[in-house]
Amino acid sequence: MLQIHALTKRFVAENEVVCAVDGLSFSVGPGEVFGLLGPNGAGKTTTLRMVLGLVSPDEGYTEVAGIRTSINPFAAKAKLGFVSASDGVYPWLSVREMLLYFADLYGVQPDAAAERLTILAEVMDIERLLDRRAGTLSTGQRQRVTLVRGLIHDPPVMLLDEPTRGLDVVGVQTIFRYIAHLREVGKAVVVCTHRLDEAERLCDRFGLLHRGRMRYHGTLNEIRTESGRQHLVEIFDDLMNPVSHVVETPT
Amino acid sequence: MNLSWSRLARLSRKELRETLRDRRTIITLVMMPLLVYPLLSMALNRFLLSSAGPGTSGFVVGVETVDESNWLQSLINDPRSKPPEAILQASGGDLAEFKVVVVQDGTPEQALLANRLDIAAELLIAEGEPQTINVTAFSGDQASQSARRILIERLHWLKLQDTTNILQRVVPEFSSFQVTTSEIGERPSGNVLASIIPLVLVLMTITGAVYPAIDLTAGERERGTMEALMASPVPRWWLLLAKYIAVVCVALLTAVANLGAMFATLSLTGLTQMLAGEGAELGVKEIVLIFLLLVLFSAFFAAVLLSLTSFARSFKEAQAYLIPVMLLSLAPAMLSLMPGIGLNGPLAVAPLLNIVLLAREILANNVHPLGATLAVASTILYATAALAVAAKLFGNDAVNRTSERSIGSLFRRPEVATTRPSVGEAGMVIALLLPASFVVSNGLMRWLASQSSDVNVTFQLALNAVALVATFGLIPFAATYLGRHRMTLTYRMQSTRVGFYLGAAIIALGAWAFAHEALVLADEFGLALLNEEQMERTRGVLDKWKTISPFVLLATMAVAPAVIEELCFRGYLFSAFSNVLSPWQTIMATAVLFGLFHVFVGSTLLVERFLPTTLLGIALGWLAYRSGSVWPGILMHFLHNGLLELVARYHEHLAFLGAELEDSRHLPPLWLAIAGACVLVGVGIVVWTRPRVETVSAESV
Repeated sequence: MLQIHALTKRFVAENEVVCAVDGLSFSVGPGEVFGLLGPNGAGKTTTLRMVLGLVSPDEGYTEVAGIRTSINPFAAKAKLGFVSASDGVYPWLSVREMLLYFADLYGVQPDAAAERLTILAEVMDIERLLDRRAGTLSTGQRQRVTLVRGLIHDPPVMLLDEPTRGLDVVGVQTIFRYIAHLREVGKAVVVCTHRLDEAERLCDRFGLLHRGRMRYHGTLNEIRTESGRQHLVEIFDDLMNPVSHVVETPT
Repeated sequence: MNLSWSRLARLSRKELRETLRDRRTIITLVMMPLLVYPLLSMALNRFLLSSAGPGTSGFVVGVETVDESNWLQSLINDPRSKPPEAILQASGGDLAEFKVVVVQDGTPEQALLANRLDIAAELLIAEGEPQTINVTAFSGDQASQSARRILIERLHWLKLQDTTNILQRVVPEFSSFQVTTSEIGERPSGNVLASIIPLVLVLMTITGAVYPAIDLTAGERERGTMEALMASPVPRWWLLLAKYIAVVCVALLTAVANLGAMFATLSLTGLTQMLAGEGAELGVKEIVLIFLLLVLFSAFFAAVLLSLTSFARSFKEAQAYLIPVMLLSLAPAMLSLMPGIGLNGPLAVAPLLNIVLLAREILANNVHPLGATLAVASTILYATAALAVAAKLFGNDAVNRTSERSIGSLFRRPEVATTRPSVGEAGMVIALLLPASFVVSNGLMRWLASQSSDVNVTFQLALNAVALVATFGLIPFAATYLGRHRMTLTYRMQSTRVGFYLGAAIIALGAWAFAHEALVLADEFGLALLNEEQMERTRGVLDKWKTISPFVLLATMAVAPAVIEELCFRGYLFSAFSNVLSPWQTIMATAVLFGLFHVFVGSTLLVERFLPTTLLGIALGWLAYRSGSVWPGILMHFLHNGLLELVARYHEHLAFLGAELEDSRHLPPLWLAIAGACVLVGVGIVVWTRPRVETVSAESV
């Protein structure tokens, strides 16, 4: 459903070329949750931004539901849903107006959008919020509205960027249920996070990014076998501190 | 993705809904017009009634005694105190009324200080006749000053009539000259509204557009909705167009609300007659025209504001950009209040100023069709260009990312040397060059003007060269040093092929002639903005040049500009711009800057220099790009300037070649043909010479 081929992105910062993403490739099938993991600055968000068409890659390409983003960017974008922790709302619009606006942006016909909104509002428990002004919502309510926004056009591929950042326990549980729902309805899901414990619980397969490169890629068991470590946290520690790894190995 | 009009309407409606529900919009849209105009009209009423002329019962003159009152009133009422008809007509045709009152409590001066009188008068009466009349006015009060002037004039007319009558009785053949008066020129419209409305339109459309422009662009980023918006499958320009429509609508609504409130207040308070003149009424035609003007103003401001706010990363940043723009916009708006400025010449295409003047002309019923068409067309063009810039900037990734650089980092030398300056640094250099060259060149001119005229010409030219080095030389150099960039690469001082030097030299042999022609043509078409005095001074300078050594002239007017300007424009700025721009964009950007900097000379704007200098800049930029080096450009620039200076110095010696420069000022056709051939051959050589490939290897960093 989502295929990424040798994506590369370099930035010029202060006259220095920095390779943010270096030849990254992976694919995610329907009903599969892929965890794109890595510390801050590993290149996760840049990868997502390239998939979303916000940044154009220097090399490589992305295919969403068989559509190449470089060839038909708008058709590809229409197949993508995107949710980020930093997502905001339009404070002066009602929740319904805002969600229907996004449906319109994604080309959903007004009637179909209203129908879809009724279903999603029930699933995400925001029925009572629909006619409230978005600016008056609590953090938890706003998060649920944002999650509905990502799904309003029923995209086959969902991208979640640090979805649990800044959330309390209840908020995190909502995200977990949301991802379970996405898996259930057959979406291909990419979750970017640096919360490795959460990722272990949520994802079917993983890609471990470090300095823009894919260091490990596969199911948890495959990565465990390849790295010789039990938990993702330990693998990351090895990646981040290669010296300590050398010192620790004999013991 | 289907981009239909109905969808655009839906997207615009959302933007409009969002803005109109915001209470900050409501304040500008409703509260301002409701409160500001009644308050303003009260102040205006007070001002007009107290300053424009006499009150309803005329000017009030206070005296101390009944005797004085009777005398003064009889003098004023005497028909001989009336000015001759021609003079009366010149000042409006109405004879001012004076009401003389006897001040009951206190002296007339005290009553005047208490603002109960317009003027105070004291008559010294002896032997039943007034001997002296002393008139006291309130300093700084317009009405009081007018009253005093008119009263004294009236008393003088009376004295004059008396004297003439007596003289004619004594000397019957006596006849004095008559003084009459007439007026020429276009009488400025007495319609003050025609001047005030454009100002109100500017202020109100800006006020109305500012908040939605910021909120719908920079606000998206601040709210965290920008990324979701950019991820949607709608082209950016489509999103921006929806926002533009919303901003235009709010600006229009604000201006309509304000104008409505203004007219309502004016007609309710009876100020319309006073401002627009007797019998002036706003008909349907005027209202339609004002509305069309509003659309134009809103369309222009909304586009300009959006292009700025799309660049801003936050609400605060956007506000910081807009405040100077708003203040700048007031300058052309104020010009609409000035008489004598019309919608013609370059003013017809001057952004904003042209629509302000158009508004004034329309309201004064005095429209020049060509100027009006040019103004509307150029404004639409500016708005489209601004909108195109906004669409390019809106949601741009580079704009989305916050720069880590602070002001302090501009002055900190980086630890690692780098090849070339960034565009940001180049922008900083340009920003410094503008005021620096303004200060240095004005300072130099003022200093020279303050000296006696016998300042040595060689010294003057040397000072000019020093000023050039101090600005265009030192500022980029300091930036290169502070930025720790490689001098050779920054200034593009690499060696290049001989063919480029040869081509450059041959082009220069012909190019100066076209530069000369361009200046002559600009002068003929009236583009030259030097006044006669400045032209005289320039001729004087040229005459002085004939007295000095040609080597001094060449060193200061050809070598120094060639080296310094080339290192700055085709060296520093060229290498900085080429980081992000394509070669042709770089050539054009440096050429336009080169042209612009030649327009600012002292405190005058030599607009006629822009085109030839920019064209020269394009040629030099192209040469710099082809050769990959700054040196051939320096050679060409030197030869070009040198030949122009030498022709100016030796033109009378060139008569044997068929050039009668003094008379026609145009070069002879044969010269132009030879010059054209030189340019073509030179260009051919440059094209034919294999370009030097610019390689910046990693090791050279």
